[in-house]
Amino acid sequence: MKISLSWLKEYIPVTHTVEEIANKVSLTGIESSPVKLGQGLDKLVVGHITSIKPHPDSDHLNVCMVDVGEDEDIQIVCGAPNVANGQYVIVARHGAHLPEGKRIKHGKIRGIESNGMICGLDEIGVPEKYVPEAFQNGIYLFPEAEKPGADALVLLGLTDEMVDLDITPNRADTLGMNGAAWEIGATYNEKPDIKSAELDESKVNGSVDITAEVDDEKLVPDFLLRELKNITVGESPLWMQRRLWNQNIQPVNNVIDSANYVMIEYGQPIQAYDLDKLQESNVVVRNAKSGEKFTLEDKEEKVLSHNDLIVASGSQILGLAGVAGGIDARVTADTKNILLESAVFDGASVRKSAQRHDLRGDASNRYEKGVDNGKVSEALVRAVQLVEQTGNVGSISKEIVGNKTEAKPTVIKGSISHINHLMGLELSSDEIMDIFDRLGFEAKQDGDNVTVTIPTRRYDMSIEADLVEEVIRIYGYENLKGTLPSGMETSGGYSPKREFGNKLRNTLLGQGLDEVINFALLSKAEVKDFNIKETDLTKLLHPMTEDHEYLRTSLVPGLINNVAYNQARNNNDIAIFEQARVFDRPKGEDRPNEVEYISGAVSGNIANDSWNTTSKEVDFYDVKGIVEELLSFTNAKAHFEYVATDQITNLHPGQSALITADGQRVGYIGKLHPSYQKEHNVNDAFVFELNVDELFDLNKRKVQSQAAPKYPSVSRDLAILVGKEVESGQIVNDIFNNGGKYLIDANIFDLYQGSHVKPGHKSLGYHLVFQNPNDTLTDETVEQAFDVIKESLVQKFNVEIR
Amino acid sequence: MSLNDKLKDLRKNGINEAKRAERLQELNDLRVNLLGKKGPITKALRGMKDVPAEERPEIGTLANNVKKDIQLAIEEKMSELNEQMIAKKLEEEKIDVTLPAQSRNIGTRHILKQTIEDIEEFFIGLGYRVDAGHEVEEDHYNFERLNIPKDHPARDMQDTFYLTDELLMRTQTSAQEGRDMESHDFSKGPLKVISPGVVYRRDDDDATHSHQFHQIEGLVVDKNVSMADLKGTLEALCRHVFGPNREIRFRPSYFPFTEPSVEVDVSCFNCNGQGCRICKYTGWIEVLGAGLSHPNVLEMSGIDSTVYSGIAFGLGPERFAMLKYGITDIRDFYLNDVRFLEQFKGVN
Repeated sequence: MKISLSWLKEYIPVTHTVEEIANKVSLTGIESSPVKLGQGLDKLVVGHITSIKPHPDSDHLNVCMVDVGEDEDIQIVCGAPNVANGQYVIVARHGAHLPEGKRIKHGKIRGIESNGMICGLDEIGVPEKYVPEAFQNGIYLFPEAEKPGADALVLLGLTDEMVDLDITPNRADTLGMNGAAWEIGATYNEKPDIKSAELDESKVNGSVDITAEVDDEKLVPDFLLRELKNITVGESPLWMQRRLWNQNIQPVNNVIDSANYVMIEYGQPIQAYDLDKLQESNVVVRNAKSGEKFTLEDKEEKVLSHNDLIVASGSQILGLAGVAGGIDARVTADTKNILLESAVFDGASVRKSAQRHDLRGDASNRYEKGVDNGKVSEALVRAVQLVEQTGNVGSISKEIVGNKTEAKPTVIKGSISHINHLMGLELSSDEIMDIFDRLGFEAKQDGDNVTVTIPTRRYDMSIEADLVEEVIRIYGYENLKGTLPSGMETSGGYSPKREFGNKLRNTLLGQGLDEVINFALLSKAEVKDFNIKETDLTKLLHPMTEDHEYLRTSLVPGLINNVAYNQARNNNDIAIFEQARVFDRPKGEDRPNEVEYISGAVSGNIANDSWNTTSKEVDFYDVKGIVEELLSFTNAKAHFEYVATDQITNLHPGQSALITADGQRVGYIGKLHPSYQKEHNVNDAFVFELNVDELFDLNKRKVQSQAAPKYPSVSRDLAILVGKEVESGQIVNDIFNNGGKYLIDANIFDLYQGSHVKPGHKSLGYHLVFQNPNDTLTDETVEQAFDVIKESLVQKFNVEIR
Repeated sequence: MSLNDKLKDLRKNGINEAKRAERLQELNDLRVNLLGKKGPITKALRGMKDVPAEERPEIGTLANNVKKDIQLAIEEKMSELNEQMIAKKLEEEKIDVTLPAQSRNIGTRHILKQTIEDIEEFFIGLGYRVDAGHEVEEDHYNFERLNIPKDHPARDMQDTFYLTDELLMRTQTSAQEGRDMESHDFSKGPLKVISPGVVYRRDDDDATHSHQFHQIEGLVVDKNVSMADLKGTLEALCRHVFGPNREIRFRPSYFPFTEPSVEVDVSCFNCNGQGCRICKYTGWIEVLGAGLSHPNVLEMSGIDSTVYSGIAFGLGPERFAMLKYGITDIRDFYLNDVRFLEQFKGVN
C-alpha cells in the first residue's frame, strides 16, 4: 500500500524526505520504495470555460475561451464530447509537459488557433481504469469551482509523495493508514494521533428493518450492519476522490467511495448494499449451494462452489463474502436507503474463493492476511460518518449484529535476559520497555520478566520471538555487531558418498569433459528413451508444460539435448557429463527412489586438424577409456566387464555394452542408434551412464603397498588367427586364466580382419608380460606358461597360432 | 733419416692430418692408422735395435711423446668437431614457440557447482556438515514442519509441483531442516549443517525465473546462538564470496519458519556502495534470507525452544553467480552451451 505523506501528516509530523522515510522504514520494518507523482509534469492549471462555440470546419470540435487566471482568456480547441460552457477543467498550457514525454504547444487546429489542451485525468497520469466513469471518455471536470490558474496537479493530488510499502503477509496491519502511521511513527519515535469515529447520535434510530445471522460463527467471527435511510447519492468531494485514485481505486459515488476510504484508513473492508433491493428482511452469511449462480457488478456470472461463503438475502446473493459485491443490491445514483456491512471473514476461505473465481482484490487481500477485529464496529461507524459528510443521511440504525467476537489483546510473557540472549545484545530493560512503548504496546516489568499486551491491530504478534523481532528492528539491525557461534567445535565435511561422487566427477573433468546441469523434469518421450531399468514413471500432478511433466529416469536425454543444442550452434566437438539424481519408482509405491547417476556424452572430434596433427573422431574405445579411468577411481575390488548388448533401444546394437561389476550391472556405454541421432539432430555420439550409488556400495580394495619390482620382466608376443565372433575379452580372460602367477599383463597390439586372412576370421596380436617379483624369470618358466596359454586358446577357441 | 727424425716427421704429419680432418670418422681412422699396432710409429720403433744402447731411452721417450702429441691433436680436433656438430644440430632443431600447443584440456566444472562448492567449503571450514537431502519430499517436511500449515498464505509465495497429495518436488532446501533437527544428537554438540541442492517451483521459465534452481540452506542449533551470530556468519560468508571489504545489512522480513526474519543485503561489490546499475543505485544488493529458527519449528522436532535457539539462512547459487559474473539470463545455466560453460574455467 502506498502511504501518502500529505495524508500521513494528519497522524504524525513528517519532517523527512520521502526517500529518507522509505529507506528508514525498509531497514526497520517493511520494504518500501519512494513514489513521487507528477515528476516532470508542468504547466497544468485550472481553467474556467467562459465561452464555447462550434469549430467552423469540424462537426465535433469546439472552440473554447478559457480563463486561466491571466488578464486575457486563452483560446483552446477541444474535441471532448463532454465539454461545455462554465466548466472548471484541467488546462495544459503552451509548453506543458505531460506523461510519457508528451509536450503541448500552441498551434492551429483546422485553421483555428489553439493555445493549449483541455485534459482528461488519464492524460495527466491517472491510469484510465481509476478515472471516474463519467470522465473516462472525455475531459475531467472539477466538481466545484476552483481558482483559475491554480496548479491543477496539486488540487488533484497528483504531486503526492508516497511511501510504497511492499508488505510481507504478516504485516497486513499496515494495509490501512492507521496501522501504517503506527509503524512509521514507531520508526521515528512519534505516537500517531488517531481520532476515533463518532456517530451523530441525534440521527440514530432504535428500530431496524433487517436482521442478520451467520451460519458458521468460526468462518464469520464478526458481521455487523447498519441501515442508513434517506441518503443522497452523488459525486464525492475531490479530497476523497483524489485519495482514492492515488490508491488505485476508482471513485464511483459517495457511498462506495466512503466504504473504500474506510478500508484505506482502517484496513477494514466495508460493503454497501441498496436496502430497498433486498428480497427479504434477513441477511445471512452462509455457504453457497454448489452450482448456485451469482452475478457480479460488472454482470459477469460466476457458478459457486459449496466452499464459497456468501452474503444472501433469501435466495438472493448480495455478495461473495469479503471478495466481491453483486449486481442485485448494488448502490446506484437512485439509491435512497443503504445497508453498510463491516465484517471479519475467515482468511483462508476468502483466499480460496478469490482464487477460485479469479477475483483477488483490495478487500480479499486484507481478509487473507487478516484484519483488526478490534475495529470492526468503529470502522462501520466511520463509514456512516463519511456517508453523512459526503451526502445527506436521514436516519441511522443501531448496529445490527450477525455475530460479534470480543477482540482480546494478546498478552505475551517474556524475559529481558532471554530477549537479549536471542538478539546477542545487552540492552537495558529501560531501552526495551521504551521500544514497546513506541510501538504502542503496554508492557509491565517484574524483575527480569515482562508482560506485554499487544494491541489487536498487531495480530501477527503471539510469542516471545515476536517481541525479539520488534525490539531488534526498532533498536536497529545496523547496531548489531556480528559474532560467530561459540558452541562446541564440530568437524564438518561431506558425506562419504558425496566425496565419492566428487572424485568420480574429477576423473571426468580431468579427462576434458565439461560439466553440465540439466532439468530433472522431462517430457514423456524423453523419460522413456533411456529408461533401461524400466522403472515406473513418476508424473507431476499439475505440470506446467508437456516438456516438464515426468521425473527423469536417466541423465542421457538431457545430455543429448545439450549435444543437439551445441551442434546446432556449430559447437561440434562436445564432451560433457552430468552427475545428478534420477528417479526410480519401485512398483506400487508413490515415492521414487532418488539415485545418483554419472553420465556422459561425447561427439565430434577428440583431436582436431592442426599444423602438426590430424583430426580424430571419437569412437567407442575413446569413451570406453574415459569410463575405465573413472571406474579405476572407484577403488572397487570388483572386476568390471563390458558385455555386448543389443537390447538398449536407442543405442547402436553393434556398438553398445552393459558395464558389470562382478557380473552385476552398474551401467552401460554405447553409440547412439542412427535413427535416434537423426531424430534428435545430433552427429555420431557416444554415451555412458553409471549408477554412482551402486559403485559406491561395491567393496573397496584394500591397498597393501608393494615395492616396485626389482627383477626384470620378460615379454612374449602372441599372434593368433581366430573366428570373427570371438571377442578379445574372452581371449584375454583365457590368457589370464592360464598364464600362471607371473603373467602381469596382456595387451592387444594388433587386430586385422581384411582380405589377407581366412574369410570369417581375424588376426590378433597380444603382447604378454611376465614378471616374478622375487627372482629373475628363466626362459624355461616363461615358455612353459606361454605353452599352456597357447594350448588352451587352441582348444577353447580353435585358434591358429601364427 | 735417423729414427729420431723419422719420429719427428711422423709427429708433424700426424698433427697436420688431425688438424685437416673434417669428420669424426677421419680422426678415428687416423688414430688407428698412426697409433695402432700396425701403424708407422710401431713400425719405426722396430728400427730401435739399430740404435745405440745409450740413446735408446731418449728415443723411447720421444716415441711416447710423439704418440701423446698426436693423440692430443686428434682429441682436440674431435672435440672441436663435436662442438660444431652440436651447434649445427641445435640450429637445425630450432622451433617456432608461438605455434599452437597440443592441447591437454581439463573440463570445466559447471559454474553453479563451482559457486556451490565454494560456499560448501567455506562452511565445512566452520565445522558444518553438508547434507543434500531429498528432491522428492513430503508435504510434511517441505511445509508443515516449517510452520506452514495447509492454509497458510505463505504457500501462495511458492507454487508447488505435487506428485501426490502428500509428496512434492521440494520447493526449498529448508525442507531438510526438520529432518536434520529430529535426527541430531545434541549431546554430541551443536547441529551445524548446510543443505545444498535442487529445488522446484511452478514458474514459467524466463530470464529471471526457472522452474528448477538451486538453494543452499544453512542451520545451526545450539544453546547459545543469536541474531549476532547470524550476522557474523553471513558477514564472513559474504566477504568470502564477494570480497574482503564487503559489509552486510539486515532488513526485517517474514518467513514462517524464522522469527525474527531478515533479508540480507551485501554492499555492492561493483561500486563499493557508491551506487551503480548492478545495485540499482542503492549501494546494496539483496543476497539472501535468514532468521532465528521459529520456536514452533524447534518444538516440532522435539527441541526445547526455551533452552535451544537456531539460526537459519537460505541462499540462491544462481543469484550469487549471476551477480558475481554479470550473467543476465538464468536459462543460460541450463542450456549448457559449452562456450558459456568454458568461460568459467578455474574461477573458483
